[in-house]
Amino acid sequence: MTEARITRVGPSRLAEQQRERPGPGRLARDSLLIAGRYLRVLRGNPGRLIYPLLQPVLILGLFVSVLENLASVPGGPYRQFLIPGVMIQNVVLTAPATGLALVRDADTGLADRFRSLPMSRSAVLTGRCLSDAVVFFIQALVMIGVAYLLGFRVHTGLAGIAGTVAVAVAFGTALGVTCVWLALLIRDVETAERALFFPFIPLAFVSSAYAPVGRLAGWLQPIARVNPVSSAAQVLRALANGGPVAVPALHLAAWIAVLAIVPGVLAVRRWQSSP
Amino acid sequence: MTNADETELAIEARGVEKSFGSVQALRGVDLTVRPGMLAALLGPNGAGKTTLVRIIATLLCQDGGTVRVLGRDVLARPYAVRSVIGLTGQYAGLDEALPGRDNLVLIGRLAGLGRRQARQRAADLAERFGLAAAAGRSVRTYSGGMRRRLDLAASLMNRPALLILDEPTTGLDPGSRVEFWAALRELREAGTTMLLTTQYLEEADRFADAVHVLDHGVIIASGAAADLKARAGTQVVDVLLAGPGAAAAAASLGNRIAPSDLHADEASRRLTVVARDGIGTLLTTARLLQADGIGVADISLRQPSLDEAFLALTSGTQPSGASR
Repeated sequence: MTEARITRVGPSRLAEQQRERPGPGRLARDSLLIAGRYLRVLRGNPGRLIYPLLQPVLILGLFVSVLENLASVPGGPYRQFLIPGVMIQNVVLTAPATGLALVRDADTGLADRFRSLPMSRSAVLTGRCLSDAVVFFIQALVMIGVAYLLGFRVHTGLAGIAGTVAVAVAFGTALGVTCVWLALLIRDVETAERALFFPFIPLAFVSSAYAPVGRLAGWLQPIARVNPVSSAAQVLRALANGGPVAVPALHLAAWIAVLAIVPGVLAVRRWQSSP
Repeated sequence: MTNADETELAIEARGVEKSFGSVQALRGVDLTVRPGMLAALLGPNGAGKTTLVRIIATLLCQDGGTVRVLGRDVLARPYAVRSVIGLTGQYAGLDEALPGRDNLVLIGRLAGLGRRQARQRAADLAERFGLAAAAGRSVRTYSGGMRRRLDLAASLMNRPALLILDEPTTGLDPGSRVEFWAALRELREAGTTMLLTTQYLEEADRFADAVHVLDHGVIIASGAAADLKARAGTQVVDVLLAGPGAAAAAASLGNRIAPSDLHADEASRRLTVVARDGIGTLLTTARLLQADGIGVADISLRQPSLDEAFLALTSGTQPSGASR
């Protein structure tokens, strides 16, 4: 068995395979082509945008109207504290769609066709993450618009708005990459559709999205403190209200790097598991 | 890149083995396809056809043995193999939500064509397969036959030297199947090598240059369809009786013709006799039936059908018989 494997892909064959593997230029080109495919599908089927774009409108509108007068936080109106938290929650709950789309595509004839083409295989994954980054971008603009109508103000001007959009896109995309890996692990479409949201519900709620960490139940506090949702919300608050942004931003950046790179590498390896 | 060694054989498979858990799907398959040929891989469900095709198309790794496509080893140089093959799988490799034209352009671009080239080729192929009018519509609205033709066109975007088709005509109505075959014939005339799997024996019989019969993970026969049929048995006399009573007729012939050479089918009023003596057997049969007063609607001497050949070839290869 072991012997058969060694004769199968000996060192020289591996070297040969490495040489012919599409390089980074091909990965970039093919990723853009795949992203273009998904965006074209969205253009032809705008109904698919209802979930990522209408959901934040509803959640922001409802949560903020219901909760706005129930609590108060030091240093300003609760609205300015709550809205960044709810924005990040929306980003978190949109991310599973990336993984679901890929696992739905994985067993189709189209996936076989892609695998039989001399293209970069990873591009199938990166292309989808890229097209979903565009969706996160549009979602962020919609959320900022709705938040404005609800009385939310970004006091740091255009730079603050740009920062808010960048956080939503980067954090959403990193979570999307994680979802791709999870979905490929689960493999079964229906199971993935039901199971993929579970880790994201505690992620979204055991955080400082609704209240400062200090007001949460004691045993939740350490979790909420390391939760990237807390730091993302803090960054958005700092961008909106002014205030020190460096510490939460570094914490968030580290999380984004970990969430994108580790599951990303694992997902690509899983995806490429044939020759 | 194109020295004589590399282009000698389109497919060269030696001792290919593949297991899924405890199931041995392929148990030492040898297969050779020469360039320009249309080779058919024939076999019942579960024989291993799709597994073999997926290994050749670099979608699966074999456990043992070697496979070369135009001289390129599928494990060592999968990308080199992918750049010379086109695959039409069992399930259409298309994005249903996109127009036919966008599907073709996307696949052409991913295969390495430039934007202009891909658009031009997509337009040409849509024209050639009668899809020009529908090219702007999403694939969701296509009929089964159109979808299959678009899938074939997609496989041809990169002008593959070897086209691999896994049960391409399954699920097509007879009219679409005829159209599809016309397209394949045209491709063969243009010099494309093809390997296709099929369960439609008459298709392999009519169109393939070589037929490889796969059963229980081994190739049990290879050759031209006519050779396979000849190997499976001699000609048969086919009698269509004017009325019911095929079994009785067979019984009355049983005195003078070996009963094992006789086969009666009551429902279709058909009597077949192994023609050990060629036309002599036909004449004898006709004379005997006339003497017994049995009305005959039609009588003919024919080659065994590929179905009969197939059954004759596969009947001796149960797993126990072929295990090593």
